[in-house]
Amino acid sequence: MTTTQETRWIGVSAPRREDAPLIRGRGRYIADIEPAGTVHMAILRSPYAHARINGIDTAAAEALDGVHCVLTAADLEGIGDFPTIWRLPGQKESNTPALAPGKARYVGEPVAAVVADSRYMAEDALDLLDVDYEILDHVVDVEAALADGAPVINEDLGDNTIIEYTFPGINALGVAGDIEGAFEEADEIVSGRFKVGRYSGVALETRGLVADWDDLRQTLTLHSGSQVASLLRTELAAALGIPETSVRILTPNIGGAFGNQWDRYPEDILVSLASMKLGRPVKWIEDRREALQATVHGREQLQEWQLAASSDGTVLGLKGRVLSDQGAHLHSVGIGPAWVTGAAAVNQYKIANYHCDVVGVATNKTPNSTFRGFGGPEAMFGIERMMDKTARRLGIDPAELRRRNMIQADEFPYFSPGGAVYDSGNYPAALAKALEAVEYDKVREEQQSLRDQGVYRGIGIASYIHVSGFGPSAILGILDYYTGGYEGSTVKIDPHGRATLYTGMIPMGQGTETTLAQVAADHLEIDIANVRVVWGDTDQTPYTGFGSAGSRSNVAAVAVIKAIEQIKAKAVRIGAGLLEADPDDVAYADGRISVKGAEEMRSLTLADVAQQAYWAHKIPEGDQPTLEATYVYDPANFTTACGTHVAVVDVDIDTGKIDWVKYVVVDDAGTIINPLLVEGQIHGALSNGLGGAMLEEFVYDEETGQLLSSTLMDYLVPSFTDLPDFEIHHLVTPSPHTEGGFKGMGEAGCFPAAPALANAVADALSHLGVEVDQTPVTPSRLWSLIDQAGG
Amino acid sequence: MAETMSVVLNVNGSGRAVSVEPRKTLADAIREDLGLTGTHLGCEHGVCGACTILLDGEVVRSCLLLAVQADGAEITTIEGIGAGDDLHPMQQAFSEYHGLQCGFCTPGMILAGIDVVSRNPDPTPQEIREEMGGNICRCTGYQKIVESVQAAAAVMSTEGGSA
Amino acid sequence: MKPAAFDYSAPESIAEALDLLAEHGSGAKVLAGGQSLVPMLNFRLARPAHLIDVNGVDSLSYISANGTLRIGSMTRLTALGESGDVAGAHPIIPKAVAHIGHRAIRNRGTIGGSLAHNDPAAELPAVLMALDAEVTARSADGERVVGMQDLIEDRLFETTLGDTELLTEIRIPAAAASSTSGFQEFARRHGDFALAGVAAVITTDGSTITQAALGAFGGTHATRLPTAEAALLGAETGDAAFAAAGAGAAADFPATSDVHGTAEYRSHLINVLTVRALKEAAGNSGGGNG
Ligand SMILES: Cc1cc2nc3c(=O)[nH]c(=O)nc-3n(C[C@H](O)[C@H](O)[C@H](O)COP(=O)(O)OP(=O)(O)OC[C@H]3O[C@@H](n4cnc5c(N)ncnc54)[C@H](O)[C@@H]3O)c2cc1C
Ligand code: FES
Ligand code: FES
Repeated sequence: MTTTQETRWIGVSAPRREDAPLIRGRGRYIADIEPAGTVHMAILRSPYAHARINGIDTAAAEALDGVHCVLTAADLEGIGDFPTIWRLPGQKESNTPALAPGKARYVGEPVAAVVADSRYMAEDALDLLDVDYEILDHVVDVEAALADGAPVINEDLGDNTIIEYTFPGINALGVAGDIEGAFEEADEIVSGRFKVGRYSGVALETRGLVADWDDLRQTLTLHSGSQVASLLRTELAAALGIPETSVRILTPNIGGAFGNQWDRYPEDILVSLASMKLGRPVKWIEDRREALQATVHGREQLQEWQLAASSDGTVLGLKGRVLSDQGAHLHSVGIGPAWVTGAAAVNQYKIANYHCDVVGVATNKTPNSTFRGFGGPEAMFGIERMMDKTARRLGIDPAELRRRNMIQADEFPYFSPGGAVYDSGNYPAALAKALEAVEYDKVREEQQSLRDQGVYRGIGIASYIHVSGFGPSAILGILDYYTGGYEGSTVKIDPHGRATLYTGMIPMGQGTETTLAQVAADHLEIDIANVRVVWGDTDQTPYTGFGSAGSRSNVAAVAVIKAIEQIKAKAVRIGAGLLEADPDDVAYADGRISVKGAEEMRSLTLADVAQQAYWAHKIPEGDQPTLEATYVYDPANFTTACGTHVAVVDVDIDTGKIDWVKYVVVDDAGTIINPLLVEGQIHGALSNGLGGAMLEEFVYDEETGQLLSSTLMDYLVPSFTDLPDFEIHHLVTPSPHTEGGFKGMGEAGCFPAAPALANAVADALSHLGVEVDQTPVTPSRLWSLIDQAGG
Repeated sequence: MAETMSVVLNVNGSGRAVSVEPRKTLADAIREDLGLTGTHLGCEHGVCGACTILLDGEVVRSCLLLAVQADGAEITTIEGIGAGDDLHPMQQAFSEYHGLQCGFCTPGMILAGIDVVSRNPDPTPQEIREEMGGNICRCTGYQKIVESVQAAAAVMSTEGGSA
Repeated sequence: MKPAAFDYSAPESIAEALDLLAEHGSGAKVLAGGQSLVPMLNFRLARPAHLIDVNGVDSLSYISANGTLRIGSMTRLTALGESGDVAGAHPIIPKAVAHIGHRAIRNRGTIGGSLAHNDPAAELPAVLMALDAEVTARSADGERVVGMQDLIEDRLFETTLGDTELLTEIRIPAAAASSTSGFQEFARRHGDFALAGVAAVITTDGSTITQAALGAFGGTHATRLPTAEAALLGAETGDAAFAAAGAGAAADFPATSDVHGTAEYRSHLINVLTVRALKEAAGNSGGGNG
């Protein structure tokens, strides 16, 4: 092998090693896994939003040929459920049960499960299950759920309020300021009421599981698409009452996750239990209707904000109330996303006086939990709409108003009243760059002349911060977040000098395998072809505190770098012995271990040293044989990615149709590992963000409590013609807190997308005074705003 | 259980007899009975395009066909694209231009892309967007798929390559 | 999402198909392109005991242009959209077909299936209403010819076809020499079922409108728009007549609310789209509803 290296890999658009099987149709997704003897599960789900279950007659289903077992809540005696891992002070306990215990609380809630020879037969058996439902009054709106006399979703909790949390936090984070003073002093008080729509990741691959219990070895192998396999292993073992050492989670290719697979789900328990009962592999592949009904939803909030400003545009204070529609149960992260909304709402601005109440509310809807962005996009929607409303009220250009209030580049670290510490960035520079790229002044001019011709063009600016790189475990502890934020990495150099890297991260499309290989190749200074990345097997890979998320690669990358530092140090010690030199005189460079100043003469390849490390004939005192290292990296701080987006659209005032003119992105995610993949992540996140801004929505019928968007004909995801070409520019402000300067960026694209779009639409219709305060901005909604405004 | 029927599925150039219930979709038969799992299922109601295959040379949704309907027809799945180690220019371009992330839509996208270029050898980005609108991708935001298809079209027109 | 069990036959002739329909009656369903029926099977919203697959009945697939345009019910939407004969006789048809789903859907979906399925948001029932088309329905007992309006009445997701009847042919009378057409629809995404849409066919003698036929879709059912048509008849082509027709269309249109839009919005849309379709028709001179 050669250890001479021609490229540094970090910063290079290295082709993805993930691609080779995927473009040939040889990927291995959960549905493609079928061990011999596999039987298939189908799940009976509540057709009602709220109904008591008085009994389930399973006889006919059990009698059907090919049916192996039927599970109902009665079979779950002794089986636990998954805890909510984010347990804020005062938060009532409301875990998601594996099967509705006596009462179904949302349409799609699992009521029973059937296992049969094929999925076709299992569905035949579902048809034969006879459930005695007693329909109860339901509530699918947060305000209605808080009203007196509302149906109570979970009687044990007394009412539908799960938690009220106030920022600045009672966790001693954040600074209160003088909110009342700010409002007294203000020249203008601007208010806004925003409905952020309910939508979710809706990955193209639905969830799926294959559980395989080996009775003789007493081991459970679970093939799962979980983004956080270690945590699933821990919690699943606890729920099933078996030792964690018995559980192995294998993760194959994942067809998109977008945060939704961060959670633990009832089905994890159901397939495992069925496999243990039957002693054979049990497979469950979620169908699309189930995916829309029962994979967690995201976002939905009702926000009320008031902003105090002086007439020169200085924002003096911000206060708000955020009602988070949690659905029927708390899922894995509790009200976490809404908490993040409260923490992030001050965004890039120096708003010294801040107050926000966040209320988690139960409704008869699918649980609202982890989804790409995790409360950040919701926060950005509120504050960025408020900035535009304020600009409009004060007659100040929206770009100028932002500029006047931004935290300056020399003010970092910045302690925000929301409780976060912003590490670095240059907000005004990103804004300026975005305005330049979009040719702001020119577009503003054109806007005027076009309007005279009946073309309604609008320009929408939205700036954002994305607190990423979750997170320092000690801070998670302060936040009552019951998992660690660290990431482990094991690097093993084999006797031929090639590297195998073991990570708890899962490639879900974002190219983690490639980017971690790039980082490893760069730091070992060897060719990337000589780095293998092993992921997706809890028997081999390090425990991950937080698992894979769009914004965690930075943390994982540091773990890799740190493990490699140890490898290099050890290679130098071993090499020094072999070279008969003092370790202090030996250095690791270019994949070689050499005596400084005599690199030509006294030098060994990594392979030479590795071979010696395995022979172990001459291992230095205090060192162990072989050449491997594990490092568990706990980040010192969060990182804050940031940037500004500008959307330019035309609105057809007759139909409410929105046409794209331009979309410009300026982002700053610190050091970039792979520019091509970063672009892909931005595009993808934008598509999630704009999908929710324009098309995607889980609509519930108030009358019946039914989820109306339970097919892809009703839940509309963006297709090719719905999205513009994105123009992307980068600023690079390396994070001072992380090795390598990386910041998490896989989610950032969805943060400012919805407010940029909404601001652009409102701007296009400013002559009518239209304000766009609800997402998605559907043509029907937009037309009725235009109509009401007399347009 | 209803009677099974015997049908011959000619997939990627070779015929195989399978015995299926009439209700079994072609997609399930391809995946389960033939073991060709590159054909994916994203919705089973015709909206997403993940199950796209070529039936007698035309793009179709394999989730909306019954296996018994394909008796004797010529079927091409993603596994039949590219010869051995040689990638089809469309496959090559998807990898080169980052036209895939999770890869779940990719087999369908590649087949749809080949179909578009076979009918329109030099498509504009807008034409690609309109023609491929029946295939959904949740990961890429489409821009890089459009670039991939355009790049592949250029290669295909010089190589005369096709499915 | 897997279908419930059914029996399956694949007749090769119309007679065979009619016998099977006679035998199985209401328990049977005809399988044409399957682009609407198979999703319903997968969702178990349709549970026929017997499926009669007519894809092997070659004699149902043809386009014959000889004065009246005759189209076999199993003609695929792709073939319909690409036929020079169809485009020559009624250019509004390929225009409408381009809006139906996507290539893969049109490669299988059939004209007969689209009419028999009668989705209220489907393009073809309304277009064929505006073209005064008729269909032939055959059963073991014989054949009848039914006008589009009598086929659809005010039904949705069903027609006046009997359980044992097979829709075999669509007949479209030749267009008046000086007729022109416009087709406009509004969908949230390219290829989706429309929220509302209008097919307009008008004939003028110079500048006065002598014939007007407007079909609308996206409401509770496909329908002609009689008030709009009346507003046009005898009027001069131009903004005033078109605006009156738009208002008439909104009054006629059986708008309804769903996740995609309110009834109020749809009524407004039909007004806007009617005006646009008429402008388009007026701009399309050259006769043969070009
Ligand atoms: C993603 C998607 C998007 C679509 N978008 C549109 C769209 O925008 N506009 C649109 O109009 N359609 C759309 N469709 C529907 C498509 O056009 C269907 O193909 C069509 O409506 C039905 O035609 P088919 O041949 O597939 O009929 P099938 O699905 O086979 O049958 C439909 C019904 O008609 C009956 N039937 C069929 N043929 C006959 C016959 N000859 N005699 C008696 N009964 C018969 C069947 O028994 C069944 O009840 C879409 C479909 C999908 C999956
Ligand atoms: S699985 Fe066939 S179109 Fe989605
Ligand atoms: S790459 Fe994931 S759906 Fe397209």
